[in-house]
Amino acid sequence: MSETNNGISAEDLRSGALKPGGTGEPIITLKDVDKYYGDFQALKDINLVVGAQEVVVVIGPSGSGKSTMIRCVNHLEEHSAGTIVVDGIELSQDVKNINEIRRECGMVFQSFNLFPHMTIMDNITLGPRQVRKQPKAEAEAEAMRLLEMVKIPEQAHKQPGQLSGGQQQRVAIARALAMKPKVMLFDEPTSALDPEMVKEVLDAMQDLARSGMTMIVVTHEMGFARAVADRVVFMADGEIVEVGTPQYFFDNPQEERTKLFLSQIL
Amino acid sequence: MSTMGQSTPGPEDNVIVADAPPAPGTHEGIGVLIRKNLFKDVKNSLITIFFGLLLGYAIYKAVGFVFFNQKATPDGGTRNAWVVIRDQLEFYMVGTEFQRTGIGFGRIWAAIYVVAFAMGLAGGKVAGDDSPEMSLKSRAGIVGPPLFGALVLCSMAKTFTPVILTLGIAVPFIVGNRMTRFMSEGMLAKKGQILALLGLLAFLLEAGYSPAGPSEFFGIQGALDNVDSYGGLLLTVNVAFISIILCFPIGVVLALVRRSTFALLRPVSVIYIELIRGVPLITLLFMGEFAIGFFFPPSVSTPPSVIRAIIMFTLFSAAYVAEIVRGGLQSVPPGQTEAGQAVGLQPLTITRRIVLPQALRNSIPALVGQFIALLKDTTLLIIISQFDLLGVSDPILASPEFQNQGYAAEVYAFVAFVFWIICFAMSRASQRLETKLGVGNR
Repeated sequence: MSETNNGISAEDLRSGALKPGGTGEPIITLKDVDKYYGDFQALKDINLVVGAQEVVVVIGPSGSGKSTMIRCVNHLEEHSAGTIVVDGIELSQDVKNINEIRRECGMVFQSFNLFPHMTIMDNITLGPRQVRKQPKAEAEAEAMRLLEMVKIPEQAHKQPGQLSGGQQQRVAIARALAMKPKVMLFDEPTSALDPEMVKEVLDAMQDLARSGMTMIVVTHEMGFARAVADRVVFMADGEIVEVGTPQYFFDNPQEERTKLFLSQIL
Repeated sequence: MSTMGQSTPGPEDNVIVADAPPAPGTHEGIGVLIRKNLFKDVKNSLITIFFGLLLGYAIYKAVGFVFFNQKATPDGGTRNAWVVIRDQLEFYMVGTEFQRTGIGFGRIWAAIYVVAFAMGLAGGKVAGDDSPEMSLKSRAGIVGPPLFGALVLCSMAKTFTPVILTLGIAVPFIVGNRMTRFMSEGMLAKKGQILALLGLLAFLLEAGYSPAGPSEFFGIQGALDNVDSYGGLLLTVNVAFISIILCFPIGVVLALVRRSTFALLRPVSVIYIELIRGVPLITLLFMGEFAIGFFFPPSVSTPPSVIRAIIMFTLFSAAYVAEIVRGGLQSVPPGQTEAGQAVGLQPLTITRRIVLPQALRNSIPALVGQFIALLKDTTLLIIISQFDLLGVSDPILASPEFQNQGYAAEVYAFVAFVFWIICFAMSRASQRLETKLGVGNR
């Protein structure tokens, strides 16, 4: 491992990944997580502890394993080795176990993935009604509350195709929140949006962060990372290279790969 | 729902503004348009004249064939050629052995009226939909073909009663259609079940308990025997629609199994589909007729011939439906499943509520194509001595009254026309369904 100029080893830098922020109470723990696609190793020895109410922003070049990492958290991808613990539940092969974790993790995708054949209202209430067995009226009242939170209550009875990209992504956020998750995972939520719609989605995410939601956000929006993140995680080649507070991370990066990446995008 | 404000934009939104300048090409008179498009230069004019003459000749011959078609009789006189249909209309419609079942025309008419009512219901308002009424044009597109067919059939009737009854079909259709406006959302949501019950009712009416047959299982056993005695259009419709209704769920299940991760079941589905698709339908029908009996235990009597044919049509079509639905399943992006998983839905719920609705919607054009093909394939029934609409024309043409007098053209034209009306109506209905479900503009 390379020695940096401050005499701090890369090992120490990465160990920042193991000190949960937020309330300090760990809610997601990734320990020695590896992921292989055939012979290709997508994740190498990932260690990260996320605290309750903490916002962790994951950045890095494309192909660095950011998305793979958060997709492993709710088992959309299966990790090959290591342990993942979400809210005290260790992720295993057990279907019941997986579903329990998925209920605790809301996820927002790059391509929205709203259900195009259902109204916005049905998109949001499907999960609560099917999984949490909420009565229809209750689920719909909750959905309206969430739509008001993301500022599009008037769209409730439209089809996703009638909404703009930004509105669709806000619906996707509301849909994930309807399950009352403890953690929200964002997989490049603004990458598929037209530039003028990015802000409305980021605003909704910022509101959510302020309300005390635990969030892991994979994004290329450095402004958001700087303003909202408690910690920034930089990944490259399937590894966590550097972890730090936004201020430390953007103003005083230690690793060469981080410096190179930041010089390319800023 | 009326607070929706706006719905999907469509062609009806392109209202022509009165004071806007006319688009180029529309302000010219019809004469200019004809000259520009049909007589632009000498070559163009020659082509126009040649095809104009050809078309005129074809229309002249067609009108003569339909309206002024006299044929010589053996005793020296002449008669209208369509008498070959008019005199034998009952055989074309229900076959030669229908009377033997003791079911009677009353029940057939009752079944037709139930079906008309169900179709009106199906074409009416849908739950959760407040789109404006259909335009007159698309209404005509749906109702036109069956109406045309009904009028032609009426012109072939010799007595007044069937004409009145045929025109009366409009009444239950309109009643069913209007009723949907007064139904509650809850009732509309159950429309599928209501339609299924009406379909079963119509089937039991036209083929259920008969005085001549056994009456076990609420007349189901009798129904199977009755269909065996049917012929003509009644047989065609029974075989086609029973097979269509049965093959659809089987096909969907096969498609789902083929895409599933069940290591044991998946090969079964693959082998089934590839085996059936690799064998001609005629072979299957022969096997049904002559070989299927070996697979029944001796204590069970082999079902009647037509039932074996229906089984074969169903199995055959299910393989094709499975492949069509598999294509539809593949067209649904994997993100849809992932989104369902991320919310914590069970795999079965994801399939039923998220993937299948989208997959089936994308498969509608191909599915209707397959169903139309199945309907036309029922003409193969003749090879196992079942006289369907086409098959029944053989004995009629061979009857002493008409044999060797050149009536084949009229008979086959009539049979082709009836098939065309049914297939065209199915195709129009599917187009309507596609617009309704927004295929191609999600």
